[in-house]
Amino acid sequence: MGEVIVITSGKGGVGKTTTTANVGTGLAKLNKKVVLIDTDIGLRNLDVVMGLENRIVYNLVDVVEGNCRIKQALIKDKRYPNLYLLPSAQTRDKTSVSPEQMKKLSDELREEFDYILMDCPAGIEQGFKNAIAGADRALVVTTPEVSAVRDADRIIGLLEANEIKNTHLIVNRLRSDMVKRGDMMSSDDVVEILAVDLIGVVPDDESVVISTNQGEPLVGNESLAGQAYLNICHRLLGEEVPFLDLNAKNSLMARLAGIFKKN
Amino acid sequence: MSSSPVMIKGTKSGIILVLDKTTDFEELKTEIAKKFKSSSKFLGNATLALTFDGKSLSDKEQMEVIDIIHSNSNLNIACVVETNAEKEELLKKSLNEHLMELTTNSGQFYKGNLRSGQVLESETSIIVLGDVNPGSKIVSKGNIIILGTLKGTAYAGASGNEGAFVMALDMLPMQIRIADIIARSSDEKPRKHEPKEPKIAYVEDGNIYIEPFSKDVVNDIRYFK
Repeated sequence: MGEVIVITSGKGGVGKTTTTANVGTGLAKLNKKVVLIDTDIGLRNLDVVMGLENRIVYNLVDVVEGNCRIKQALIKDKRYPNLYLLPSAQTRDKTSVSPEQMKKLSDELREEFDYILMDCPAGIEQGFKNAIAGADRALVVTTPEVSAVRDADRIIGLLEANEIKNTHLIVNRLRSDMVKRGDMMSSDDVVEILAVDLIGVVPDDESVVISTNQGEPLVGNESLAGQAYLNICHRLLGEEVPFLDLNAKNSLMARLAGIFKKN
Repeated sequence: MSSSPVMIKGTKSGIILVLDKTTDFEELKTEIAKKFKSSSKFLGNATLALTFDGKSLSDKEQMEVIDIIHSNSNLNIACVVETNAEKEELLKKSLNEHLMELTTNSGQFYKGNLRSGQVLESETSIIVLGDVNPGSKIVSKGNIIILGTLKGTAYAGASGNEGAFVMALDMLPMQIRIADIIARSSDEKPRKHEPKEPKIAYVEDGNIYIEPFSKDVVNDIRYFK
């Protein structure tokens, strides 16, 4: 039986879709059978980030309304044969799908996949309710900013109210140089406020922007963010992995900068 | 309502105008005018066939009635058919042919950019004066011509016409569908500085081909044959 994981945040733009794409691809890389579901009806993005936009024929709403079979709507990833995407509809809105329908869909997919990842839309309205309907566990993404942390707190409360107890936190876009200067919350600060177990810290990394624009998830490559995402996947599978030293690259950069300054 | 000398009934492919036999023609004409004027909003601007029932009219009188309908509503009467089952078939056929002709030989314009999430559907061919952005879609039973950039999805010959084509001044489509055939863009990185060139997509041997727009290609288009 597969596990349904919802990736959510409350606030927009903190990296839900990027996280879904990378964690999903990472799990597929670790030989799990994975399906990613974009529940952001009307503002779909996951297909673009995965570089699969040109393959969309049917979508989530078609499946739910019975216009096609699930198999017909699932898009096979171009890199991993055990990774699939169920894209969202762009011409409809959140009310096209109900939480009951999403639960039924995730229960059907459970039979066939090891992991079903739900990319949740921003907000706490219908789209959020749809995304969490069938979820067993949640990954809450936040950035180390007060506004994002505030929204994450609200989301964790709503998840608890909806009987989703297994919740983990991802702190995204952390800048260790700013943390060191005391201009940014550290991941420990965020964990202290939210009192949820941390499953990953992803540094603010240019390569994320590049990978998003190219439609190629960066999980597992040599970039710090790529390593951080792969670590999250290992931890999801229950392995103990130490957290990355996000200063490593920076200190190297600092050392290089130091050398140039001296000259 | 049965006391009214004029009644409008709908059928699968048109309307039946029931005229009282005892009322004289001049009076009927004013009644018809009133009737169509009052229900013109409800009837809309459909193209349909007209059948007379009740009082029998001469050809000249029938023409007069059609003129009255045209001037009092937005309906377009394609043909007049008498009432009986055999004729009903004929009527359906001639109506379909008329619609087919409309689909193949006529078109409409759309000015503006189609943005993500927007869908433009057309019974006839369509010419877009603007760009078609990723995430948007054009569906036409005829051809699609885009005087701008096609970056979204275009679906020509939606009722199954494999002869239909898609043309764009700058052809960078996400997907092109013609009849039941689907082609998607390649996964190669999009070119950066290649010059813009009008291109046309058409079906040959069950595949969609995209080629620079030229006289030779136009001469080969099956749509007009």
